[in-house]
Amino acid sequence: MAPWNDNANPGPWGAPSGGDDKRDGTKRPGGNGGGGPRRPGGPDFNPDFNRLTERLRDMFGGAGGQPTGRLIAVLVGGAVALWAASGFYVVQPSEQGIVLTFGAYSRSEEPGLRYHLPSPIERVEKVPVTELQKTDVGGEGAAGAAESQMLTGDGQIIDIDFSVTWRISDAARYLFATRNPDQAVAAIAESAMREVVGRTQLQPIISTARGQVQQQARDLMQRTLDQWGAGISVVEVQIREAGPPPEVVAAFRDVQSASQDAESSVNEANTFRNRVVNEAKGDAARIIQESQAYREQAVRDAMGEAARFNQIYAEYRRAPGVTRERLYIESMERVLRSSKKVVVDGKGASAPIILPPDVFRPKSQTVAPAPAAPAAQSGAAQQGQTQSRAAQ
Amino acid sequence: MNPRLVALGVAAVALLALVMQTLYVVDQRQQVIVVAFGDPVRVVNPPGRNEAGLHMKIPFVEQIIRLDRRNIAIESAEEEIITAGQERLMVNAFVRYRISDPLQFYRTLRNETTAADRIGRLLNSSLRQVLGSATDNDIISGRRGELMQQAKADMIRRAQSSKLGIQVIDVRIKRADLPNANREFVFRRMSTARQQEAAQLRAQGEQRKREIIAEANREVAVTLATAREQSGQIIGEGDAQRTRIFANSFGRDPSFAAFYRSMQAYESSFADGETTMVLSPDSAFFKYFERGPSAR
Repeated sequence: MAPWNDNANPGPWGAPSGGDDKRDGTKRPGGNGGGGPRRPGGPDFNPDFNRLTERLRDMFGGAGGQPTGRLIAVLVGGAVALWAASGFYVVQPSEQGIVLTFGAYSRSEEPGLRYHLPSPIERVEKVPVTELQKTDVGGEGAAGAAESQMLTGDGQIIDIDFSVTWRISDAARYLFATRNPDQAVAAIAESAMREVVGRTQLQPIISTARGQVQQQARDLMQRTLDQWGAGISVVEVQIREAGPPPEVVAAFRDVQSASQDAESSVNEANTFRNRVVNEAKGDAARIIQESQAYREQAVRDAMGEAARFNQIYAEYRRAPGVTRERLYIESMERVLRSSKKVVVDGKGASAPIILPPDVFRPKSQTVAPAPAAPAAQSGAAQQGQTQSRAAQ
Repeated sequence: MNPRLVALGVAAVALLALVMQTLYVVDQRQQVIVVAFGDPVRVVNPPGRNEAGLHMKIPFVEQIIRLDRRNIAIESAEEEIITAGQERLMVNAFVRYRISDPLQFYRTLRNETTAADRIGRLLNSSLRQVLGSATDNDIISGRRGELMQQAKADMIRRAQSSKLGIQVIDVRIKRADLPNANREFVFRRMSTARQQEAAQLRAQGEQRKREIIAEANREVAVTLATAREQSGQIIGEGDAQRTRIFANSFGRDPSFAAFYRSMQAYESSFADGETTMVLSPDSAFFKYFERGPSAR
């Protein structure tokens, strides 16, 4: 301390060095810890300090004593230090700092602790460059309908709500080129979307061409903003909702349900077809099986009968007359055994023979009252039903 | 001591005032017209010159007027425009301009409020002229970009001839919509078109349904008929074989075969016992029955 004080030249730098001295002076009592009197500091210090206070006293018209002068000096020095320190600022990681020197762009600062010359010489404007900004058009806003309903290329009206995601690509341009850049983005977004929608048909926008519309609107926005040199980069245009306006929604929904209806009609028909066709196939198989069964049966039966005939024939050839007679009689026996019989001698009958109707009634119905013996009846049969031909 | 302090104070204030009257800051976003007794003397930091920063002027004599140097928007109110095809459209557009010649701007328009008014009217008449000669179809879809370029060119021309001192950067149609009355028509048209589509879809579904059913019915009929055809074939085969077998067998003695077969037929025909036979005692069967054991 001492050598510094010794060397101190209060000449032209009197005031500032005096300020420093004074600070030292106030610190010293505490630092020494001696508890000695304040006034008698060091013998080497006093002359300098006295000279300073004298000067200060001169400056302020000699008012106040030494303590006042020192107080003023402290205040001034502190103010200067504070002023100088006000130049420190922090640029957040998402930001860029744009430093203006007397209003003129001077430099861009990256994130971190930075310093600019204190106001009013320099000042900083921080711009969120990496942050994505979002502008919504249409939707829940008060001006919703007017903002979101637009005309399509085929003369229909569509309701579109969309968002634009953008970011500041050039902080300086963003600050200096455009007034109200955020509003500009909203206006250009609406204009671009309307232009794109105006040359696209309604149906594709709702269904397939949505991505295409988004891309075209984005490109158009970007072109316009670039042309203005706005320093804004449009990241994405996202259609949140695109559909017919509420006035016609019912009709559009009906188209949906109509296609559902059509589909279910077709399904019904298919169900019917599957059932009926399969049933028919089953029936066809049955018919064929049945006829095959018939064929087999017919052939086998025939073969069986033929075999039987052949056997009998072989025996018949040995004794034709006897066999013939026997066959006839046996057959007649079997036939007549189970039948009801009326034997009528028609010879010499002049009037028709009337048979009682009971005779012709089937056995099952006339259980008792038709005994099997009404052989001879009154009258004569017109013609006997005989099987004599076969016996020939 | 007091007078000295006062004097010092006065001097400081005077100095400060002098400094403030002399020095002025021009922001990057501004341009400044220096005016001496109401007369523009010079321009600082107009577009094209980079002069933002600290500047000096003659104190008390020169005054400064600050103008914006950036790109400024003016949006027109929504206006009804009648197109070439006599259709009405509600059009809303905006223009972006920049004060390119501050002196001219100052002389003609004085400040931004009047400028907004004047440029707004200019925008309106340009739109009317350009859009009035186009059809609504052109405006909405076909030639929107082109028409905006025309409106811009028209505005540039008018701004120049009126010496407004502005540069028109862009003219864009924001909205071009139908008036409310016409919107109702559009909605009705859209609805009927959808109804038509729905009816068509349903009818197509019905058509398809009937086609499928008819096809199914045909398939059923064909399947069954084919089966019957095959069946006939098979049955015929069976009958043919049967006939051949009998022919082969019975052909050896047709007379006996006929007798033998008749016997079988009689037996099976009358086997049910439901038959009442009225017989003549003359028949061969009753030969012995009538004539006794000597019958021959």
